[in-house]
Amino acid sequence: MEDRLRRYEKIEFLGEGQFATVYKARDTQTENIVAVKKIKVGSRAEAKDGINRTALREIKLLQEIHHPNIIGLLDVFGHKSNVSLVFDFMDYDMEVVIKDTSIVLTPANIKSYMLQTIQGLEYLHNNWVLHRDLKPNNLLVNSDGILKIGDFGLAKFFGSPNRVYTHQVVTRWYRAPELLYGARMYGTSVDMWAIGCILAELLLRVPFLPGETDLDQLTRIFSVMGTPTEETWPGLTSLQDYIQFKPMPSQPLRNIFSAAGDDLIDLITSLLTVNPLGRCTCEQALQMPYFSNKPAPTPGPQLPVPSSINWKKQEERPSLKRKLLDAVDGGSLAKKLIF
Amino acid sequence: MDMDIACPRCKTTKYRNPSLKLMVNVCGHGLCESCVDLLFLKGSGNCPECGVALRRSNFRVQLFEDSNVEKEVDIRRRVLRDFNKKEEDFSSLREYNDYLEEVETIIFNLVNNVDQLETNKKIEKFKKENRELILKNKARAGREEAELEALLEEEAAQEEARRAQIAMEEKEEKRRKIRNKEALIDELMFSTGNAQSIVRTFAESRAQDAAALAQAAPAPVPVKATQFSTGIQIGRGSGHIEFLPVPRADDTPLFHYEAPQRLFDGPSPPSWQEVDQLGYLAHIRGASDEERAGGYNSHIGCLRALEDAMAGLYYRANREGSVF
Repeated sequence: MEDRLRRYEKIEFLGEGQFATVYKARDTQTENIVAVKKIKVGSRAEAKDGINRTALREIKLLQEIHHPNIIGLLDVFGHKSNVSLVFDFMDYDMEVVIKDTSIVLTPANIKSYMLQTIQGLEYLHNNWVLHRDLKPNNLLVNSDGILKIGDFGLAKFFGSPNRVYTHQVVTRWYRAPELLYGARMYGTSVDMWAIGCILAELLLRVPFLPGETDLDQLTRIFSVMGTPTEETWPGLTSLQDYIQFKPMPSQPLRNIFSAAGDDLIDLITSLLTVNPLGRCTCEQALQMPYFSNKPAPTPGPQLPVPSSINWKKQEERPSLKRKLLDAVDGGSLAKKLIF
Repeated sequence: MDMDIACPRCKTTKYRNPSLKLMVNVCGHGLCESCVDLLFLKGSGNCPECGVALRRSNFRVQLFEDSNVEKEVDIRRRVLRDFNKKEEDFSSLREYNDYLEEVETIIFNLVNNVDQLETNKKIEKFKKENRELILKNKARAGREEAELEALLEEEAAQEEARRAQIAMEEKEEKRRKIRNKEALIDELMFSTGNAQSIVRTFAESRAQDAAALAQAAPAPVPVKATQFSTGIQIGRGSGHIEFLPVPRADDTPLFHYEAPQRLFDGPSPPSWQEVDQLGYLAHIRGASDEERAGGYNSHIGCLRALEDAMAGLYYRANREGSVF
């Protein structure tokens, strides 16, 4: 164990979460850059299995999972009462990309991100794993433009008919309506909804359904997708936390995503279907025309890099204002009081 | 005049206490710093003049002598924080001007206590209706500020560079003059030629030098000029375009879906449709309405059980390529 501790040479502190601190480190054996996630010991309740539960989930699942679009768990080692997980080093996450306004995301870029995400997720689902915490923050990208799904702290095997699952998963803005209605048995559809929200966020560059409470979240969902009924979503009323909402019509997604093509609108519609059994699966999504149509997905190395990573990148310039052009004619200036 | 400033509560004047600082809060009444410390020890309290409930964190140093002006500045700042629509947000200049007019009315009402309730309601309504736009404009304002700062910095740097160059040129000029003078004196001292002709040739060569310099000098100026104020935008603008990802769809292959290969090491499980058709579902508990509504159906459980049962059946420990 002492050797393992010495094998990874700390380079810098990267960040701290609820359960862990993350360091950038160099693997002295392979000279690769890795990320070392040191799990906090946590309270007695959190660590009643002897180790923090989120860490246990990550170790348990990731050890068996290997896919180019899923974060690789390279090593696990313990030191005294600490446990550290060694992951592939990833340069930035999708949240950074979305928030960086100097980045222009072309349709090809978005297709590339979505393709990589869904391919990774398809592998997960094929191996009976639900991620249950998909959000831009957990989609990590490295300098080669390879996207990997990360943070398996909430991931779980699914498909057991007798096991009851908690519905308190997934960050609220990406939480599927069946979870908000308190479903205790669910399937891959919860991840697909989150993918739909992420796709919408990539297009809009702001969170698509930023609900402030669980109730507000449902309101926002239904105000866009329309209030579901027993016809459109069979069994709806039998869900544990079902609440009757006033009927609202669905809005045409084309008006919201004005820049998206027909094939993309089809994909979003399918991903954001309120009835979980009507929602597409990864396999179906990847076979939709959107992915095989032009433009082709951008190859990884050509994907835009956030300015916080690429220091050379300059800020966007404001467009020349109409004011300046009109000033020549004179007299069309706004009567704004300036102090 | 300055000495007349006094705290209305403790009556301390600027004359008696030169470090006196008057603070104002939203109600527009002044109070000196030490009185604020004393009265708002708990973080909030009432204005000693008008009794309005105030928070300590809202106290600011008074900038204007007239408390009405101070109040208006404060109100204006507060109102404009939310009424931050830009000209680009309107389709016509007329609409924008109407909007500005409305903002001014609101500010005037608040300052002069006209229709306070009605106006505050109007602000709330505007806030609620335009929440997203307000947020967006706030972010944009921040960005514009940063850009402006960068622009100013760049201009300052260029100014500095220009000043340094001018200084250097001046120094060079001075040195050349001294050198010329020394050369002339040397020539006059040691040459056998006519003193007058020597002076004339020197004068001519100096005139030539000056002419050459004058020709050379204007050349670098326009080069630099393109980089100044408006020029920066052009330069940056064209620089920015390079960062725009150039769509090159031709050389990147389109995506074709291929079902992922799975190492199974056992009899291959039935497909999703086969689970249904071959009657596997008859042997397991059907999913309840509630489970189906949650996105679970009996296919999932059935297929999972079948895969679990079959996977690895052909596994032999010494065979290569097995994963289970």
